[in-house]
Amino acid sequence: MAVQQIMRMQPAAETEKLQHEDLAAKWALWSGVGYIVFFGVLGLLASIKFLIPDLFNGVNYLSWPRIRPVHVQGMIFGWALPVFMAMFYYMVPRLCGTKLWNEKLGIATTLVWSTGVALMVLGVLNPMDTTNPLWSTKGKEYEEWPIVSSGFLMAAWIMLTVNIWSTFVRRTYKQMYVALWYIMGCLMWTSFVYVIGNWPSQLFPANSFMGLNDANVNWFYGHSVVGLIATPAALATAYYFLPKSANAPLYSHKLSLIGFWTLGSIYIWNGAHHMIYGPIPYWLQTVATIFSFLLFVPVLSAVTNFFGTIRGEWHQLRSNVPLKFIVAGTVFYLLVSTQGSFQALRSLNAVTHFTDWVIGHSHMAMFGFVTFFAFAGCYYAVPRMYKRPLYSEGMADWHFWLSFIGFILFSTALWIGGFNQGMEWNNPNLTFISTVNDMKPFWHVRAGGAALMVIGLFIFAWNLFKTATASTPTVGSDGGDGIDALDIPSRTPSSLLSRV
Amino acid sequence: MLVYVIPILFVVLVGILLLILKQVPEKSAMLTGIGIGMTFIIGLTFTMLIPSFNENWSQNTAKDASRYHAIYLRSDVEKADKDGTTPPLYKGDTNVEFGKLVGYTAQQERGRRVYQREGCMYCHSQQIRPLKGEIARYSIGTSVVPVADEREYIWDQPHFLGTRRIGPDLSREGGKYSDDWHYSHFYYPRQMVNGSIMPAFTWLFDDTDKNIPVPKQDARDLVSYVQTLGFYRQVYDQSLNGGKGGWRPWLKPQDQQYTQNVGESQVLRIDPNINGGKGAQIRGGDKLSPTNKVIPGGTL
Repeated sequence: MAVQQIMRMQPAAETEKLQHEDLAAKWALWSGVGYIVFFGVLGLLASIKFLIPDLFNGVNYLSWPRIRPVHVQGMIFGWALPVFMAMFYYMVPRLCGTKLWNEKLGIATTLVWSTGVALMVLGVLNPMDTTNPLWSTKGKEYEEWPIVSSGFLMAAWIMLTVNIWSTFVRRTYKQMYVALWYIMGCLMWTSFVYVIGNWPSQLFPANSFMGLNDANVNWFYGHSVVGLIATPAALATAYYFLPKSANAPLYSHKLSLIGFWTLGSIYIWNGAHHMIYGPIPYWLQTVATIFSFLLFVPVLSAVTNFFGTIRGEWHQLRSNVPLKFIVAGTVFYLLVSTQGSFQALRSLNAVTHFTDWVIGHSHMAMFGFVTFFAFAGCYYAVPRMYKRPLYSEGMADWHFWLSFIGFILFSTALWIGGFNQGMEWNNPNLTFISTVNDMKPFWHVRAGGAALMVIGLFIFAWNLFKTATASTPTVGSDGGDGIDALDIPSRTPSSLLSRV
Repeated sequence: MLVYVIPILFVVLVGILLLILKQVPEKSAMLTGIGIGMTFIIGLTFTMLIPSFNENWSQNTAKDASRYHAIYLRSDVEKADKDGTTPPLYKGDTNVEFGKLVGYTAQQERGRRVYQREGCMYCHSQQIRPLKGEIARYSIGTSVVPVADEREYIWDQPHFLGTRRIGPDLSREGGKYSDDWHYSHFYYPRQMVNGSIMPAFTWLFDDTDKNIPVPKQDARDLVSYVQTLGFYRQVYDQSLNGGKGGWRPWLKPQDQQYTQNVGESQVLRIDPNINGGKGAQIRGGDKLSPTNKVIPGGTL
């Protein structure tokens, strides 16, 4: 059915005006934007320290192994989750046809969450040099969170879940668009994953949770942070903002639900592929490899859906900034998942494991895929939250190309260098330090790419800031899902229904 | 423990959800939530809990655990910590009452906390994979490096398996180099390994006298932990006991002597006996002479 036909069929009742305040969304958004600039600069500093290891020599809280986990955790929990919370606060009321249950609770959520992130920064950078587990890192990748900061995060997540779920049950639109499914999945999975990853070693007697039990839970958690927290949140964002910004209905609603349930049931089994050839049982590694390949099902269903949706709308890529980010993000999603599945093969893992290849891979997931979708959501939602046009389309374009080219330089250098390093490690005649020296040219390129990405981040933050604070009069009014400000014609949830 | 707690928590959670469900007019959102939770728990049970029944993963069932790691009686460790002595290794049956055994002395455990705080595991893995190139790389002389075994890790909380080798693997590092080598290396790695990009951990040293920094307690604890890595790992050698076979430390004494010598030749010391009695910095030097001082921050 053609788009125009669907639009003509929309009942007038669905376009009734609903004034969304978006206060909660704005608070969460600025928390995320502030943190991505901060943690981006930390990441750049980490990449420069590869080239100048004596930089800030003797300053304990700026040593490489302390800023590295802060950069990783900050990007996931300081940038990605707050900005996706903002997207949830923006999307859910519009897709449910009701107001957000409690805007003030939303603001409080952001305050509690950002306090937790700030405490994590303090505890992991650890200028006080303490080994007290209450304040210092837990020492496991992805679960560094000091105990005090974990408490803040869990409290904030409960507040978010109550708020969003209360909005769900008060909805006026019967149809539950797929973005809502992914949001529900993200809310549920995050609670399980975060508690399991961060608490057993503290809650249970130390002796029952040691060694490989600890490692297995660690990697169950580490992989689920990306797969079951960041991925559903990013996909929810894309499933909403892709049809909205391309002004085209979703390709297939059924396909998206297949993707949803397979994502939920397959991702959990992947953790052990981080320890291929490690001391864990052989069968567990094999299971993890098989399930890594099964991941093609949810990935391809999402990617097919996205490309099906923009079929016939490719010309919009020239001028439509959110669409640019979503399409680039979709391509990176396909690439990173393919790469991830093949990395779980023993033959490839034997070479690439422990090398810089993996760093390129993880940045494609968190930057190329998750963050690009979040950028798209910001560029689409912020003008509508503030009811003003975007401050500068040109700056947004610059942001896109700096991020894109910077990232390609960054990861390609690491993939080539990392693979080369893995091959060199298999030659016992080379000393370890000579394989490190061979990586140095690649690390220069990586730092250059990282610098481009960070410049892009500053442009992004400045653009959003000027959009929010500009003195230009507000344009139209952003009502319910039916009435969008600016140039995008009205869409309703029923118009987001699928083509096939 | 978790084996029982998680299903109970799950049943309680479902019960609460069902109670809420009774009062909510719009049921589909709640039902979806329960579905999501169920899918998740089924996957979780298989990935996390079933492997944990592996009998080599827990202290009270692991066979031959003392061949893979040092084991101490907790009471011995506590007593030795008070007296400032070294606790005796426990050689008996590991199948004793839960929680009576530990894998590290009090000082080594403090060293693990420093290792954790400084983030050593982000650049150094602690597992040798069963790959030809890897075994060749980490073997020394005729001592073939044994690959990682699950029983080596049962004393570790947190685990330091690692995922990245910006620096080399450390799981067989114990005993290779002297404490002096490690102090010099921690203070300024590039004076020991040309081209190294390891951070200089100068805050672990008291360097009010720039010429001769003194390791603080943190550095001493850290080195005492690093020296245990793989040090107590034994391998079965068929040639021992006249062909009957037996266990021996993986690093043979002559190979250990070789790496110690290489390390010693890199350490910077002040030798007071040269340069006409004024003393001067030299590499190596006589380790045994009490007047020779290690210079962790030396510049030769």
